Amino acid sequence: MSITHHPGEELLIAYASGTADEAVSLIVATHIALCPQCRRAVRAAEAAGGVLLEDLKPARISDGALKAVLSRLDSPVATKPPVAKAVTDSNVPEPLRSYIGGSLQAVSWIPVARGLAYRPLFRRGASRAQLVRSAPGAGIAMHTHRGEEFTLVLEGGYGDTTGHYLRGDLQSASAEIEHRPIADEGGYCFSLAVVDAPLSFRSSAIALLAKVMGL
Amino acid sequence: MANASLAAEPWPSSSPAWTRGPGRLAHRHLSLLRARVMDQETASAVRLDELLVAVGRLRDRDAFQTLFQHFAPRIKGYLLRLGAGASLADDLAQEAMLTMWRKAALFDPAKASAATWIFTVARNLRIDAIRRERRPEIDPEDPALVPDAEPAADAQMAQAGDESRLREALKVLSLEQVQVIEMSFFADKPHSAIAKELGLPLGTVKSRMRLAMARIRTKLGDLR
Repeated sequence: MSITHHPGEELLIAYASGTADEAVSLIVATHIALCPQCRRAVRAAEAAGGVLLEDLKPARISDGALKAVLSRLDSPVATKPPVAKAVTDSNVPEPLRSYIGGSLQAVSWIPVARGLAYRPLFRRGASRAQLVRSAPGAGIAMHTHRGEEFTLVLEGGYGDTTGHYLRGDLQSASAEIEHRPIADEGGYCFSLAVVDAPLSFRSSAIALLAKVMGL
Repeated sequence: MANASLAAEPWPSSSPAWTRGPGRLAHRHLSLLRARVMDQETASAVRLDELLVAVGRLRDRDAFQTLFQHFAPRIKGYLLRLGAGASLADDLAQEAMLTMWRKAALFDPAKASAATWIFTVARNLRIDAIRRERRPEIDPEDPALVPDAEPAADAQMAQAGDESRLREALKVLSLEQVQVIEMSFFADKPHSAIAKELGLPLGTVKSRMRLAMARIRTKLGDLR
């Protein structure tokens, strides 16, 4: 398996610096679980963060702060209850697996159109993360983007005018791209999609439906 | 506390510090001066690594105090630059030090420098405490994780002396490149907003970032 579509540098840096929101962080982190090359890039960006921290002008810490911390060193830690790890026979890598609680097949899908189903995961501010399942040959209606849309293939594949995407590939589509992704023949295509603004569908009927569904 | 937070805001949006040319140039000049004391710097970075290992393995309180005096003011500075109020920044810097004490056993100097490791601790604490969001992270033990095909020795090599090589890399970046990297870490806004603030097309900001990171990675021996 070879990944050919990677997140842009700015996404990797936003993830490493901690300025990306949770939805974008989730899609980047899931991609780097599948892509050692981008994982190294994130480590390099974190190392840059270490150097920037080292070079920052130190701020004056309040009097007594050190003493206060020293007195707490031996206090028992309020440990969070261990998070039950999601089943591991799933081929969905962490951190996404914990968000969906197991395998893609066990997700309760909401059908939206013929051959097409989705499952919203969460919403933070303007960003939303959702899972998308497309039957072989099924497509998402022609749309453009008001903001940015990121799609990470988890299983199967799809293609549009910009290229062909397989497991681990991450597509970034911004306002200038109008596309109609079609799932490959031969199996379902599962993907994680993150948008920071609603999609803009060419057909007004579909636009209305999408609005109702919160797509 | 709210007032203190406004007063402590180091980057008034009307005239961000990084747009003031002379200040940045002075900073650059200092960086060049610093190059001459590189050996000492590398030595002190190694020392910080050793102190953090001592905290992890031996629960060494003296080592902890030295690390506190070095890092707590920097973490507070980091949080202030990201817009936290002075008192919250102080509290979180203390929390970060406490987290460092508790998790120090997980620190592996072959994988990251002490500064990098502590940066990630402070970053995650900020996401948790200020943004109240989860930080999605990979699980290195995950069977679904695609392992790195590179021989471990190479990865090891990329880590040793990491920091001094990174400093060299940061020094040869153009001011424009340093600016976008710094803003990515300290401005807490999406790149589209960074582009708007700098009055640049988003594509320009992205390409500066790409060039900057390519240089950093080349220095680290990881050619993408």
